[in-house]
Amino acid sequence: MNPVALTWILAGKDLKIEYRSRQAFLTTVFFALLILVIFNFAFDPGSPATREAAPGILWVALLFPGIIRLNRSFQLEMEEGTLYGLILSPADRGFLYLGKLLANWLFLMAVDLVVLLAFMIFYNFSFSIQFLWIAVLIVLSALGFSAVGTLLGAMVSTIRTREVLLPILLFPIILPIILPAVNGTQEILLAQEIQSLNRSVELLIAFDVIYLAAGFVLFDYVVAD
Amino acid sequence: MVVALYGAFLYAPTEREMGEVQRIFYFHVGAAWNCFLAFFGVFLGGVGYLITRKRIWDHLAASCVEVGVVFTTIVLTTGPIWARPIWNTWWPWGDPRVMTTMVLWLIYVAYLMLRSSLPEGETKYKYCAVFGIIGFLDVPIVWFSIRWWRTIHPVVITSSGAELELEMIHALIVSVIAMTVLLVTLVMLRMAMSLNFSVAEEMTLNVRHSDRRVEGV
Amino acid sequence: MSEPSVPLLRLSKITKRFGVIRAVWNVDLEVNQGDSLAIFGPNGAGKTTLLRVIASLTQPTSGDIEFAFEGEHQSRSRVGYVSHLSLLYNELTGFENLLFYARLYDIKEAHDRAAEMLAKMGLKEASNQRSGEYSRGMKQRLTLARALLHEPQVLLLDEPYTGLDQHGSRLFTEVLRGLKQEGRTILLVTHNLGEGLELCDRVIIQNRGELVFQAVGEHLDKSGFEKLYFEAVEKGDRS
Repeated sequence: MNPVALTWILAGKDLKIEYRSRQAFLTTVFFALLILVIFNFAFDPGSPATREAAPGILWVALLFPGIIRLNRSFQLEMEEGTLYGLILSPADRGFLYLGKLLANWLFLMAVDLVVLLAFMIFYNFSFSIQFLWIAVLIVLSALGFSAVGTLLGAMVSTIRTREVLLPILLFPIILPIILPAVNGTQEILLAQEIQSLNRSVELLIAFDVIYLAAGFVLFDYVVAD
Repeated sequence: MVVALYGAFLYAPTEREMGEVQRIFYFHVGAAWNCFLAFFGVFLGGVGYLITRKRIWDHLAASCVEVGVVFTTIVLTTGPIWARPIWNTWWPWGDPRVMTTMVLWLIYVAYLMLRSSLPEGETKYKYCAVFGIIGFLDVPIVWFSIRWWRTIHPVVITSSGAELELEMIHALIVSVIAMTVLLVTLVMLRMAMSLNFSVAEEMTLNVRHSDRRVEGV
Repeated sequence: MSEPSVPLLRLSKITKRFGVIRAVWNVDLEVNQGDSLAIFGPNGAGKTTLLRVIASLTQPTSGDIEFAFEGEHQSRSRVGYVSHLSLLYNELTGFENLLFYARLYDIKEAHDRAAEMLAKMGLKEASNQRSGEYSRGMKQRLTLARALLHEPQVLLLDEPYTGLDQHGSRLFTEVLRGLKQEGRTILLVTHNLGEGLELCDRVIIQNRGELVFQAVGEHLDKSGFEKLYFEAVEKGDRS
């Protein structure tokens, strides 16, 4: 069967389910907004130092709430044992990974769109065409985050302490996403000229490629007994 | 090991500006190199287990993690002690070595937490193997991304420019080798322990399994 | 009953361990095309694990499984699996569930097939209802529909009668009988000695991971079976 079609069928199923219940989406967005507001309270909104820190705050709010969806992504497969349904099928395990990954990635980007808008409003940044570049950074970072997160999310789905364990496992690994993402955003929002954005993008792409490949290969070990 | 101790404390002349504290440097460097070597052991163990499904590879990985995390902790604690007199700061943010070691420590600890939340069995070894591989891939990525970031945000660190005299270099090399030997020895000891445990397990298993009923299986 | 030269499925010395627990121990089993095999045994005997090993949901710790099919891909597309878990997505409708699985199994004209199976199981009216809202009986029928979508040659059933009322049980048995008549192979794990014996021509009893009893068709004394069952289990317990 056409692998693209297979991936899309798998992702589509997940997205349809999320659309039906909407709860996870709203919870994730809410959590992200909460992060932005907390930082708003923690730092003096008027000071230039806060403005400098804003890109960092943005990225915490963009990535960390992604954990919610990752946990849920596999939890829903445990409810009625549907994970077995997937494993029993003739579909290649690597494509099960890609299907889940695609759904998680699209979900996260949808959340991030809302978060980005809220961020602009809270921190008083005016809209400009540069923001397309932030969107690019989000697309790439969300992909890397989801690539590792989907693999690890599958792993912890059978463990009772999964909600605590997943952040502990995931966050150290995705740390290398934060530097280029924040740096790039800093340049776009605050700097006079853009110098190193290209390299930021390159680094993110490198991360994505490495972990997509690793995930595709290793997913079989995680999901099949 | 004794040779290294001798070298560190007696052989190398006291470094002019920093005094005795500088001697920690020898242990620090030895431990630093080894904590990365240990993680390579974790990676090897992971790959080995996934390919062969033989438990000895898992013993290798687990032993390397336990010893490695200790070495990493040593690095992170001796580091500030040594760094403060030179760089006038406890924790030089933005230094690739420091940050990468910090991340390595986090990954080690995460690995241990994963390990302790899983019951004994193939699943545990498989999952730990996968995480070991994922973690190992991460380390060079972290290193390069911090180094890149440093080129954009150069951090000014006042350095007193320590000179390394010849005898100090000798002491350093010996100490690094000694630490490596120590690492290998500890790992092997730890592996021997694990192997004994699993042999005992096998014997219990073979005696009488009939007492065990499996629920809903 | 035909006796083909190559068995459809052969298990040799299959053992499955979870840590120190031996769920399946040293099982040898041959299954031929068209067999209907009932697997009985007390709770915790390892029947579910055995079935999962056959379904390739679990790798055995040691031993060999041979399928007459070529390759893993073939095996997975010829085997259907039903357990007390419904393997259905609660948020999707009955139709959407079947459509998803039909496409997953690469079935041509998936839409039509899904609709056809729904009708066959008497679920046509409920096809646009979320499967989470189905009654237990309806869910079980939908589960069976899902398992039969790809017309599997081998059907593995793990305690499918659990929670079914008379009506549901009857329907189930009828479907299974129909499949048996078509020559499909059925492996049925059940507590229900009556249903199992009614449907199946072969019987094995598993206790504490091992097979303690095997019998076939003509040699099977169905009326006195209950007594036989308890004897076999107790014998296994004592040894």
